[in-house]
Amino acid sequence: MKPDSAAQAAPLPRPSSRPTLPAGLVRWLHAVARYYPVALILLLWELCSRIGLFDPLFVPALSDVLQTWYVEMFVTHDLLVHIAYSFGRASIGFAMGATVGIMVGILMGRVRAIESFVDPLISAIFPTPKLAIFPLMMVFLGIGDASKIALIFLGCFFPIVIATYAGVKNVDKYFIWNARTKGANSRQVMWTVVFPAAMPFVFAGLRTAMLTAFLLIVASELIAANEGLGYLIIFAQRTFNPTLMFAGVLTVSTMGFIADRLLQALGRRLFRWQEQAER
Amino acid sequence: MTGQADAPHISVDHVNKRFQTASRAQLQALKDVSFAATRGEFISIVGPSGCGKSTLLYIVAGLLDASDGTVTVDDERVTGPSPERGVVLQNFSIFPWRRVIDNVAYGPEMRGASRQERRRIARQYLETVGLGEFAEYFPRELSGGMKQRIAIAQMLACNPSIFLMDEPFGALDALTREVLQEQLLRLWERDRKTVLFVTHSIDEAVLLSDRVIVMATRPGRIKEIVPIDLPRPRRAEEIRALPQFGTLRRHIWASIRAETLEMMQ
Repeated sequence: MKPDSAAQAAPLPRPSSRPTLPAGLVRWLHAVARYYPVALILLLWELCSRIGLFDPLFVPALSDVLQTWYVEMFVTHDLLVHIAYSFGRASIGFAMGATVGIMVGILMGRVRAIESFVDPLISAIFPTPKLAIFPLMMVFLGIGDASKIALIFLGCFFPIVIATYAGVKNVDKYFIWNARTKGANSRQVMWTVVFPAAMPFVFAGLRTAMLTAFLLIVASELIAANEGLGYLIIFAQRTFNPTLMFAGVLTVSTMGFIADRLLQALGRRLFRWQEQAER
Repeated sequence: MTGQADAPHISVDHVNKRFQTASRAQLQALKDVSFAATRGEFISIVGPSGCGKSTLLYIVAGLLDASDGTVTVDDERVTGPSPERGVVLQNFSIFPWRRVIDNVAYGPEMRGASRQERRRIARQYLETVGLGEFAEYFPRELSGGMKQRIAIAQMLACNPSIFLMDEPFGALDALTREVLQEQLLRLWERDRKTVLFVTHSIDEAVLLSDRVIVMATRPGRIKEIVPIDLPRPRRAEEIRALPQFGTLRRHIWASIRAETLEMMQ
């Protein structure tokens, strides 16, 4: 039907006197140009500061924020240390939540007894805002890494287990039948049919979980910590250092953005086989 | 026994199948179904919707259990699916996340063939169905007819002695369908496998089969078995032009039609 789609993707050479840029560069430029509204807002911010519309005690100029960011990042390396703490806690919690979430989700989808045991538990606990349990976790696990990792683990576990369970439940019976008639045993059915078929769902769960992890790491560090980006932001606010505070916020949002983009790009690569992957 | 020419290859004996419906009522999907297929015989199963023809095929495949009765293949009772009984399901059950070649190589991969070996086998059967050049495509990039040929190649790669085909051409346009019927005829004439072929199309059943099982509904049961004594090898255009072809077609049509009208009253 569409064996010619590859040909459509390549732009036809247009008769033009202009020198043509390499296709890769053009694509990259297009991607960057798509974010012009962001650039516009940032520009407006700088402009308003320069003409004195913003009080620098509340909103410092973007250029000052960037300068502070540069110093903290590459001269004193303080920011780097905070990033390492936040990123480390978030990744450990996320990795644990993903591992356990995927395993439990698959078991729920495949084993009736586990499904009927875990499903009501999830329904009951999932709506609880995880931050509400954080003070409790500090009582048990202290204000160090353990309580934060546990919080992120919980926050990531739920979206992933729910997505995985839905994905496994959604696997077309005929795919499984087809595999069994080709000689696949139940372990092979698991790895060659159930898992790949559920992957797009799992991936959607991972994306939600990752954003949750970012939210929870900053929030928990705002509440109680001695290092990390959340701590940096609240420390800057308490010491009346708005430039540093903005630098911290900017770092967090940039990290979230980059991580989400990377995950999306990975998803596009992994799910090229999907019907709806065409855009 | 298995060596004897007239010993049945597949034997279905007094098979009943009851389903529990959502409203707790019992649905008798199949009632006392018995027939036997000799080695190398091509049998089609036709009948109105809901007559249990697909259910019957799944029971022979070992995907569903019979409530009573037995299915034996070479005197061995069927208790589950086996690559020995190749299956082509209705709507494109090939795996969308595998490239065409890895779909066809699936059976050999499951029995532990090396990567090189299974790719070699897959290439061979892709050539058989005329899709050698699409080896590295994903199924979504192919048409419905191509997908169904891949499903057939996937089955062939397991080298089964029995083909169980559940409306394999059901979702295809008329032209593609006729091309694939012709291909299946050639394939069958070459290898002489035992085939059970479920279809909605009486025309298709008469064209391909040695015998046609006509089923009736509520409960699903065999109404009659019609021998198709048309000459072989068959060419579709020639066969369709024969007067016997029309006679057989009309006979089966009348049989199903009476059944359908009865059901509606």
